[in-house]
Amino acid sequence: MPVLTINGTEVEVDRGTTLLKAAAVAGYEVPHFCYHPALSSPANCRMCLVEVEGAPKLMPGCYNQVNDGMIVHTESDRVKRARKAVLEFILVNHPVDCPICDKAGECKLQDYYFAYDAQESRMRAEKQHKVKVYPIGPRVVYDGERCILCTRCIRFCEEITGTGELTLADRGDKAEVRTFPGQDLDNDYSLCTVDVCPVGALTSRDFRFKRRVWLLTSTDSVCTGCEMGCNIHLDHFRNTTERYRPRYNPAVNDYWMCDDGRLSYKALNEGRLEHPMLNGAQATWHTIAGAAASKLAAVIEKNGASSVGFVISPQATSEDLFLAKMFAETAIGEGVRLFINGNDPGSSDELLIRADKNPNRAGARLVFGGLDGVGDASALADALEAGELEAVYMMGTELGAARGRVEAGLDDVGLFVLQAAHQGGVLLDAAHVALPAATHAEKRGTFVNCDAVVQTVDQAYPPNADALPDWQIFMKVAGAMGHKLPFTFLRQIQDRMFEASEAPEPEETATEEAPAPAE
Amino acid sequence: MPEWIITIVKILVIVFGFVMGVASLLTLVGDRKQSAKIQNRIGPNRATLFGLDIQFFKNLGISHFIADGIKMVLKENTIPNGANKFLHGLAPSLVFLPGLFGWAVIPFMDTYCTGDITVLANYQEVCSGEEKRYFQIMHMEVGLLYAFAITAISVYGAAIAGWASNNKYSLIGGLRSSAQMISYEVAIGLSLAGVILVYGTLDLNEMVRMQGHQMWGIVPMWGVFVQPVAFFMFFLAGMAETKRAPFDVPEGESEIVAGYITEYSSMKFGVMQLGEYAATVFIGSLVAIMFFGGWQVPFLYGDGFHFGTPTGTPDVAVPYALIVLLRIGSMVIKTLFFVWLQFMMRWTLPRFRYDQIMTLGWKILLPLGLANLVITALLSAIF
Amino acid sequence: MARTINVVPQERVPKTFWEKSYVPEIMRGLAVTIRQFGRNTFSRKENRDTFTIEYPESGTSHYPERYRGRHRLMLREDGQVRCVACMCCSTICPANCIHIEAGEHDDPTVEKYPAVFVIDELRCIVCGLCVEACPCDAIRMDTGVHMQPRFDRTTAFHARDEMMSRGGLSLATKGGRDAVNEDYTW
Repeated sequence: MPVLTINGTEVEVDRGTTLLKAAAVAGYEVPHFCYHPALSSPANCRMCLVEVEGAPKLMPGCYNQVNDGMIVHTESDRVKRARKAVLEFILVNHPVDCPICDKAGECKLQDYYFAYDAQESRMRAEKQHKVKVYPIGPRVVYDGERCILCTRCIRFCEEITGTGELTLADRGDKAEVRTFPGQDLDNDYSLCTVDVCPVGALTSRDFRFKRRVWLLTSTDSVCTGCEMGCNIHLDHFRNTTERYRPRYNPAVNDYWMCDDGRLSYKALNEGRLEHPMLNGAQATWHTIAGAAASKLAAVIEKNGASSVGFVISPQATSEDLFLAKMFAETAIGEGVRLFINGNDPGSSDELLIRADKNPNRAGARLVFGGLDGVGDASALADALEAGELEAVYMMGTELGAARGRVEAGLDDVGLFVLQAAHQGGVLLDAAHVALPAATHAEKRGTFVNCDAVVQTVDQAYPPNADALPDWQIFMKVAGAMGHKLPFTFLRQIQDRMFEASEAPEPEETATEEAPAPAE
Repeated sequence: MPEWIITIVKILVIVFGFVMGVASLLTLVGDRKQSAKIQNRIGPNRATLFGLDIQFFKNLGISHFIADGIKMVLKENTIPNGANKFLHGLAPSLVFLPGLFGWAVIPFMDTYCTGDITVLANYQEVCSGEEKRYFQIMHMEVGLLYAFAITAISVYGAAIAGWASNNKYSLIGGLRSSAQMISYEVAIGLSLAGVILVYGTLDLNEMVRMQGHQMWGIVPMWGVFVQPVAFFMFFLAGMAETKRAPFDVPEGESEIVAGYITEYSSMKFGVMQLGEYAATVFIGSLVAIMFFGGWQVPFLYGDGFHFGTPTGTPDVAVPYALIVLLRIGSMVIKTLFFVWLQFMMRWTLPRFRYDQIMTLGWKILLPLGLANLVITALLSAIF
Repeated sequence: MARTINVVPQERVPKTFWEKSYVPEIMRGLAVTIRQFGRNTFSRKENRDTFTIEYPESGTSHYPERYRGRHRLMLREDGQVRCVACMCCSTICPANCIHIEAGEHDDPTVEKYPAVFVIDELRCIVCGLCVEACPCDAIRMDTGVHMQPRFDRTTAFHARDEMMSRGGLSLATKGGRDAVNEDYTW
């Protein structure tokens, strides 16, 4: 393997490694705009120029591969002068509208300007004017003035999605990114172009002007849009989730995520069930746990546990499902009818989108040892219509196509306990007891994705209003029914859960050991 | 008129008319306006009285004062969790009431004489008729002892307030204040021992009468002239007793919040504050009585002004009614002056450190008082 | 590396007996306070040392140029608000009193504008950091008008249009050039 010296540090890397990656191994970051680790390298921005001894000119680090015995300088005066010149050249036409620009705060150009340029503009001529708000796609807006023509978005559409809608139109300082005639930037991953854009040229219509990025706090989480479980940065501000950004995980989603999943954060903030409700009146946790317990106990005593329908949710974390299982087995008792609700299957593709639109059906399968005896939402509707159920205890509000039938059936049920993060429209009205649960942004937990990758979500902010994580609700209600569940911390549940199932424990440090290559 | 009605009238006029009036006015004039003047400010001058835009009242800040009082009463009265409710409520009274009880023995004028007054050559006034004590609530031979016995009770008030608040700051404040007050009571007692030796009585009115005498026919025999060291000590220790600046270590924003008053709100807080002001007035009146001749006006005797030997016809004859007024006025003005002076001291001096206070009390005032007592006793024995 | 610390012994001036006794010093202090008290109480108004300024009767002409008063929002030539809702002010605000909701402007050259811009004057600590942070000379505190006391808290929320009504024309460009102050020159 070639051995080379970078800024005096000797490193040994694989043949074919680029200078930029080799410098990263040596511990030096080489600034770059057009290079992206998941895309091809056009070497057109010239920001990553490095000095190689013996070479007459500076070489783009993202493109040139290492050779044995190379002596590379990435921080020499010559390199620094070149970077300054490149930045000055880019800024000839780049408008200084950072106050307006959504990218300000996470903008590569901004960061590099302060790191390598930091001088007042010497440009006295008028800047090139282009269309500021160009509707390049239904979810993305393009600003030609801000574009530095790195072509990352174009390469993304060619190489990752394969849709190839984008191209560069015109030349020189008139060049702009455009779609091919008759096309829109309307693929399922179009918002990833906003992520790869190093400046604020492509902005998300959804997030546009909504919040300055420096106000956001980022928490590592997992998208719950489908069973793929793409890793995300959950960006939140004042206990409200503002956006999802894909988080690098080569085992699951690489650098990307789909638009539908990205916009699924909205459900975290809307239509939330805020307080415990008892027959439509607001109650406290203390009274509601007792009321739920006594009502449930009355039904079980009268008609037996087999008259109780217990509906688990594939949207819940594995810990919640584990507690749900314990609750159903101990508090309700043998013979309880188990059902599982969840969103209906949707579209899928080969990249990231999976048909099952629930993040943890695999986890439910592991926790319950297979879902063979567990009916789906339409089975629940059937049971309700047949009058087999006296009481229904339901986690979550996702019912899919069977929603109408279930709602109609719930009217005749003697006791309906709804334990959900959302009001679910009619479901809340039908609920005799409603228990507000926390969303995955508000609790810690584990999801198992379709490829059996066990992934954890972190708590981003405390639960909304009176909400509690599902496992704590189960412990409350079970405790009120006289079946104390012996847990205090989530960790204890996890220990028991991983003991009981064959699933491997998630390696929480996995991403830390192998840091994501700089985007 | 029955005796008890007269007593009630006296209590009303002296305690509620004079003491309370002055003490509560001090919260305004003393604390706000006087400090403002000293510090080149204006002080409160904005609030109107019932919406009447009268510049005079606005400038005096009267409405601020009234609003302050109303605010005190209307605020929520809170008792901290875990506090002893009974003692928490008792403490303000223990702080406040001694300041009022003490006034029972303060003479605002000599006994009222129904007949004629003859002044003897030794400056004694002899009344031919009945002597009525209209200007002193209660006549007591040991008035001075009574006054100090009563004021000593306020130590309990501070200590109990500190303990009953269930607050560490209050407790420390209460401890500090009780330590300070007990230390300075020693100094006060010793300083007065000299005074008692000189006048040979504990009756406050008798003491004032003695101060009508003149030394060498020209200098009134006021306490400040015969016992200057005692005056200095008493004034200092008296200020320390009232717990006001520069001796205000029981309170301290940065260290212990408001000391033993921290957990008091509403009128309980108000009463604590009023208690301090009432004590200030009380100390002022005692200084006036023991060291500045109380109700005495220099050269004014029972029948008029005598410049020289007081026998025979007065140099300037004054009707008895006017003499009564002059003497009451003299007492009131002297009291107010010393109250004013205490406030001036307050705004002049920075506060002592706690160890300095203890040093001053035990290492300076105590030996000084002992020395003063010995020297006074020697001199009394010689002359 | 060893550090050398230079200690310079200071000669303390020994106190005289009278200084130790405090009495003359207290008298001197009392003389000062009593002199001030007398001068400010009994002498005529013009001879007093009082430096209190009675606002609003006395006006604000003696205020320094950089005095910070009520906020106002500056205007463009066409009368629209200069603010571009960059949130720099609300970010820097130590009291969290500025609430801005950005909107998409019809004019693509403006692009972003504050659909909602509210300052909570109850929370505002009048530090002026918002003015310093503003890159557009859009917010100023040069009205010379104090924060007013009020009976109703709802009146403490100064909305965009109210602050624009106090605002004036600003043609400031990058670096604060041309930022003239033609109104509110008190």
